[in-house]
Amino acid sequence: MSAKIIDFASAATAASDGLVIEGIHTTYDRVDVLTGVSLRVLPGQITCILGANGAGKSTLIRSILGLTPAYRGRIRFNGEDITRLPTHRIVSRGIACIPEGRKVFAKLSVEENLRAGAYLEPSAREIAHRLEHVYAVFPRLAERAGQLAGTMSGGEQAMVSIGRGMMAAPQLLIIDEPSLGLSPLYVKENFAVIERLHSFGSTVLLVEQNVHQTLAIAHRGYVLAQGHVVAEGSARELADNPRVKEAYFG
Amino acid sequence: MDIAQLGQYVVNGMMLGIIYAMVAVGFTLFFGVLDVIKFSHGDVLMLGAFTGYAVYLGLGALGIEASWLQLALVVIASVLAMAGVGALIARFVVLPLRGAPAFNTLLITLMTGMVLRECVRLFFPAGSNPKPFPRLLPDTQWAFDGFALRLDSVLLFAAGCAAIAGVHLLINHTRLGLAIRAVAQDSETARVMGIGFESIVLLTFALGSGLAALAGVMNGLYYNEINFGMGLLLAVIGFSAAIVGGLGSIYGAILGGFLFAALQTLGAVALPFGSAYKDVFAFAVVILIIAIKPTGLIAERSSERV
Ligand SMILES: Nc1ncnc2c1ncn2[C@@H]1O[C@H](COP(=O)(O)OP(=O)(O)OP(=O)(O)O)[C@@H](O)[C@H]1O
Ligand SMILES: [Mg+2]
Repeated sequence: MSAKIIDFASAATAASDGLVIEGIHTTYDRVDVLTGVSLRVLPGQITCILGANGAGKSTLIRSILGLTPAYRGRIRFNGEDITRLPTHRIVSRGIACIPEGRKVFAKLSVEENLRAGAYLEPSAREIAHRLEHVYAVFPRLAERAGQLAGTMSGGEQAMVSIGRGMMAAPQLLIIDEPSLGLSPLYVKENFAVIERLHSFGSTVLLVEQNVHQTLAIAHRGYVLAQGHVVAEGSARELADNPRVKEAYFG
Repeated sequence: MDIAQLGQYVVNGMMLGIIYAMVAVGFTLFFGVLDVIKFSHGDVLMLGAFTGYAVYLGLGALGIEASWLQLALVVIASVLAMAGVGALIARFVVLPLRGAPAFNTLLITLMTGMVLRECVRLFFPAGSNPKPFPRLLPDTQWAFDGFALRLDSVLLFAAGCAAIAGVHLLINHTRLGLAIRAVAQDSETARVMGIGFESIVLLTFALGSGLAALAGVMNGLYYNEINFGMGLLLAVIGFSAAIVGGLGSIYGAILGGFLFAALQTLGAVALPFGSAYKDVFAFAVVILIIAIKPTGLIAERSSERV
């Protein structure tokens, strides 16, 4: 009975909750990769996750998306428990992801890749509208609309992957190392695009290796090391936090 | 050999080609989305033909005599029923084995096919005997110099082409097709796009199996006879056609289907006692082609997968 009442109370504030992760544990083959991670992504903000290679950042994202579900703990999105929903249901709640390693569909054309991003949008007009928008941000993609994505250059594939995420017009956009392997010029452009996406109204959860540029655009951040959060705070606090440096080099 | 006989061979070869191609397209679709070989495919075709025949008998019992109506209902019932059977096989036989070695799927679906075959033999009235499939198409024919071109052959060929073209259109130009191709290339990323993996797999199996049912009914309409074992050879041929064309490519499946039919026809025409050796000849050439081009004539790399 009392549990019901508490549920009611949390439901009342639910709609503006954003993403709330409470003490999740995740494992591959019995080795725990995440050990009790808790974090929050507030609506309207850019939240970043920092951490060295192998810290568990991508695994955290896989858990949010239900690709490698957490076996303990809870993930809520706008108040709804999504911990064990199948991936396509989680995505249908308004979450999209630009995955690590771009993961473009190599044998689909650029435009088909983008359309795949808007798979859950039923209105053809809305899809056309979003396509136009993506092409405005990345004119290169408009020029190459019919080319197979697998034959695009690495930087161009990053654009396809980001554009595909934009096509979902998600409430929450999760981005995993979009700049990996890109030249500094592309990296700079990527950050500009992420800021722009955010200004169009998406909440962003960003995993990045470029600590300074990331903290420059993020509102809040978490530092992950060996599967748990070792520091958190506003971007400004993190910029001065010695733990950040430690997490990468210590 | 005279023109009349040659014409007959060509027509027959074209019919075989389109039927093989339809079967091969199914194999290619299943392999495309799930990397599996579903060997019950030929028996689903046979079951489709028997379903059509049963519907025909039922309509007769109900006193529905108009042959166009009979034809329409036979085709629709058979295709829908086999689409359902295909989805059920995917759901309860193929998907549970995901993660197991591909050989297991091959073996289990082979057995599933055997179960279907034995069920028809045991439970269909006098199921072990061949059944006379009705002539539901107009029997108009045109004579050219002793060679008679039958309208029903032309219609059947056109129907087969239309069905394959329809599948091709669906795969390449619809939202569902986009989802199928996305799942075929990278099922995990497809899921992240919001594509329901399982429902796409079921739909794909339904699509391929419905196509097989149509091929089964066409086979019955063309030869006016069906039997419980008809699916076995058709599966082996359809599978070889898909492999030789390049498993995973629809164009490859079509090419493979017509190539196999052409080889059989050539074997029948050119070899002494040809009709006895035509299959041996065709399979021998197919083995040779696979030995020379192991990835098939249309390699997956250069073609779009499904
Ligand atoms: N599929 C998997 N199977 C087994 N172990 C895995 C798998 N994926 C990741 N791991 C392990 O989990 C740990 C965390 O990996 P994860 O990819 O989450 O790190 P990351 O923080 O994203 O690193 P990076 O910055 O290099 O991308 C690593 O030790 C890795 O070896
Ligand atoms: Mg990672």
